[in-house]
Amino acid sequence: MSRKLTDVLAQADARLEYHAMGTPPAQPTPREAAGAPSPRAARLRDLYYGALSSASNEFPHWYTRAYMRLDNEIPVVRRALALESAFRHLTPTIFPGELLVMGKTHHYRGSFPMPWLSEGYYMAAENQLYQDALARGSASADAVSTFGTGGGNVTRSFGPVVSIAGKFGIRREEVPAMLLVAHAWEGRSVDDIGHKYEQMAPGYEIKEALMRSVTCMFDSGYTLPQGREVVNYYYPLQFGFDELIEMTERKKTDVAGRADGDGLAGMNRLYNYEAASHVLRGVRAWIENYAREARRLEAMERDAVQRREYAEIADCLEWIAHRPPRTFREALQLTWTVHVAVLNEDVISGLSPGRLGQTLWPWYEQDVAAGRLDEAAALELLECLRVKYTCLDCFASMGVVGGVLSGNTFNNLSVGGLDRDGRPANNRLEELIITAAMTCASTQPTLTLLYDDKLPESFLLKAMECIKTGTGYPAVVNNRTAIEFLIGQYGSEGMDLEEARAIAIGGCLETSPCSWMPLTLNGRPYWIPGGSGQPTSVGVHFLSLPKILELVLFDGVDRRTGLRVFPAHGRALGSYEELFDQVKAYFAKAVEVLSLANNIQHDVWRKNNTAVFNSLLKPDCLESGHLIHELGYRYNATHNVETCGTVNLVNSLAALKSLVYDRGFVSLPAFRQALAENFGFKMADEVGSFSLASQEKRGDSTEHDRTHVECLTAPKYGNDNPYVDDILREWEEWFCTKCRDYESLNAMPYYACQISVSTHAPMGAVTMATPDGRLAGTTFADASMSAYPGTDRQGPYALFSSATCWDHSLSQNSQLNLKIHPTAIHGRAGTKKLLELTRSYMRKGGFHIQYNVVDSRILKDAQEHPEEYRDLLVRVAGFTQYWVEIGKPIQDEIIARTEYEGVQG
Amino acid sequence: MSVPSRHMHCRNYAPVDVVKGICHVTKAIVQADDDACPAFDRLPRCAECKRYVSGEAEYVGACSAEPGAPMTYPDLIAVTCESFEWRHA
Repeated sequence: MSRKLTDVLAQADARLEYHAMGTPPAQPTPREAAGAPSPRAARLRDLYYGALSSASNEFPHWYTRAYMRLDNEIPVVRRALALESAFRHLTPTIFPGELLVMGKTHHYRGSFPMPWLSEGYYMAAENQLYQDALARGSASADAVSTFGTGGGNVTRSFGPVVSIAGKFGIRREEVPAMLLVAHAWEGRSVDDIGHKYEQMAPGYEIKEALMRSVTCMFDSGYTLPQGREVVNYYYPLQFGFDELIEMTERKKTDVAGRADGDGLAGMNRLYNYEAASHVLRGVRAWIENYAREARRLEAMERDAVQRREYAEIADCLEWIAHRPPRTFREALQLTWTVHVAVLNEDVISGLSPGRLGQTLWPWYEQDVAAGRLDEAAALELLECLRVKYTCLDCFASMGVVGGVLSGNTFNNLSVGGLDRDGRPANNRLEELIITAAMTCASTQPTLTLLYDDKLPESFLLKAMECIKTGTGYPAVVNNRTAIEFLIGQYGSEGMDLEEARAIAIGGCLETSPCSWMPLTLNGRPYWIPGGSGQPTSVGVHFLSLPKILELVLFDGVDRRTGLRVFPAHGRALGSYEELFDQVKAYFAKAVEVLSLANNIQHDVWRKNNTAVFNSLLKPDCLESGHLIHELGYRYNATHNVETCGTVNLVNSLAALKSLVYDRGFVSLPAFRQALAENFGFKMADEVGSFSLASQEKRGDSTEHDRTHVECLTAPKYGNDNPYVDDILREWEEWFCTKCRDYESLNAMPYYACQISVSTHAPMGAVTMATPDGRLAGTTFADASMSAYPGTDRQGPYALFSSATCWDHSLSQNSQLNLKIHPTAIHGRAGTKKLLELTRSYMRKGGFHIQYNVVDSRILKDAQEHPEEYRDLLVRVAGFTQYWVEIGKPIQDEIIARTEYEGVQG
Repeated sequence: MSVPSRHMHCRNYAPVDVVKGICHVTKAIVQADDDACPAFDRLPRCAECKRYVSGEAEYVGACSAEPGAPMTYPDLIAVTCESFEWRHA
């Protein structure tokens, strides 16, 4: 029988501690109960639980059919006409019991490919398009990414259903047409055209090797070109579609034939307004089609209650298709409709509704005051909204949807924060939003609390109660740190303190620029917040820091594939300083070549695939006539460099510094040898587990055991130990500053972004053993400020001290996840304890903290009996997901995270 | 002998996913490929349209309503198509 890592450690009288601050109770403990949804929401959520991720060809068919017919049009108008046709032809489906209607496709849980972005990744492996994608590196991450096989994931073909991109099911009758549509985009997609031009950038061969070795995870320009941003619902809410269309027509007359002092882009305004008009008409027609379907169902329905509900749906849609909403329900439906319309315009993850409770407050407040709405009715609507959001799927490649997103779509709803005058911005509707998230727990929208010391204690405690139920939300984000970042990043574009207070989180954790918009409802003025920046988390994504270190140690060669990724550095690495310097040098080279290629891809995207609908929603595109491709958004300095594996890098540098350079315990060549031989262990995929403690020795050799034990017991991040924390601080200060040396396609500096999402699994899968003792193929530490599982032994406050040894406002984000046993924060006293813990991290300047409140034994049981845990939610890294829908590597990593049995200092 | 009509080709069928849906008449979950009931109400699809021209390959055809007869396919739902005309009255 193979020896396990625990045996090796035991022989050296050492161990990894997966429980901190006490021991768990004898029996597995469930989370605290959260209440139940309304019967209606429960039925609709049950329908989701049983629904498969379903793809269809309808939208791509109509889009492509119009686009190919219009090859003599101006590009932005051509795209708009294609979008208009696709929206007009979507089949409307309304399900019995729904109060809020409309979806991406006619399926309850539907999505579709967008071959105009990329067409190779969802082909069968033997298809030439797929092979081409593999050769250029853009499909390399697919091979090392996994989905959970439970829930709605269609990971295998069956009967009349063909599995595509590893997750989505499509009817076999649609496959031939889908393939023809995909082939129509061959050589025309953003992926293909971008590839043609990116090869002209210097260092392209390094870029391709970075992708093929999965040192970098994906190109955002053709995979997820939009998202990680906050949508803005203001214009449809204030003006309605008819007025917006009239506005674009008036603007066309104003600008036609006039450059108005702008010889480069002034004339483009005419085409942009023409495009906006077409897309608005398409979306309006789409809503009208749903209204007609509601009338049809009303006419055939025999049940009086259901008949009345169909009539109310029809009334609502017929109104909001043309005019601004009058009621909370109409406003809620309109925001949902607008949200889906943006999602159908592009492949998007992380399109966040932002501070929806504050956006919708005017209608809620006036409806309640007028007796048109009570809290029970509002709560039911909010629960229904949660089900609609949870049904959203993002159709993208296996590497992106599985390896990065874990099937999540990151529609983040923020609560709290401050208003434009600096007063607490929370309201009663936000409390109902939190309540709905507890009673109707589901993955979407995830919630973020914009923590500010000014917020009322009762509101903060309400958020803590929600966290305790184990939903994984709300995440807690430091409002003040985020404001500091925004003013620093967007000050040159006019961001001031008042505007920065409109902050919301886009995607899982992306601090996003927003603005206050002046709304009037029934003569009463309000300021409502909404997104005003371009997509964030586009640019260089994701860079694996442990892999960069591996390449330094092995002179630029990826040992897994044998690929030379970087030119040989040829340095002896005779000192720790020289080693760290080379890590920085390779990192800088990677960002240099990746930023050039990504700038080209995004430029092709914005030229040929302009976001028309999303653009016209964002200030100040309608006013200026310039859409995203002409920097019409108020804030455009949004491109960044996103990393993964920070803590494994830092722990590894600490181990090298200690063992090789300070103590001389082992020579660098011998250390390399031990890493190359995985310390004598099997590969993680051979073992079938991706957590460190489960790994098994390959044979009886004990050759590397002493070195391995020393690696594992070397100083580790998370224990308030300056030996390691100084390394973290040096890295962070260098990294956050260095990013600004690179220029985005918008001629603005890149910035630092540090969230792992799910990439710590696939990137761990391709990375050999690291000097911190982590073994080959196992996952990295999650997030950027979470401790590596089993290594944080001094309690949460020591972890907080380590995490905040650097200034978090230098970066768009940082991320710290903590797993807490339910008994540690049980009852009312536990709620207060959790708030105090959170508050202490916020006051130290930490940017983000989030909790998994769960007994690890329940997770282990869920792994063995997934059929009994369809509704089990866990926090991964910036998002909440159903346990059964995530891949085993991430499951193993969550189980392995240190479980805090108590949270006292 | 005519091919039995399937739930997925019925106007009363609301597709939950690629294999099942809800019948608006009975409110029950039904399987897409199962035979439809007497309340069957034919769903407009390209296959049912007089403008649809079958192609040589299975599941692929063309639309004669548009110049150039662009590609289409028999299972494309046509409830929103402005050119749809029933093949059989």
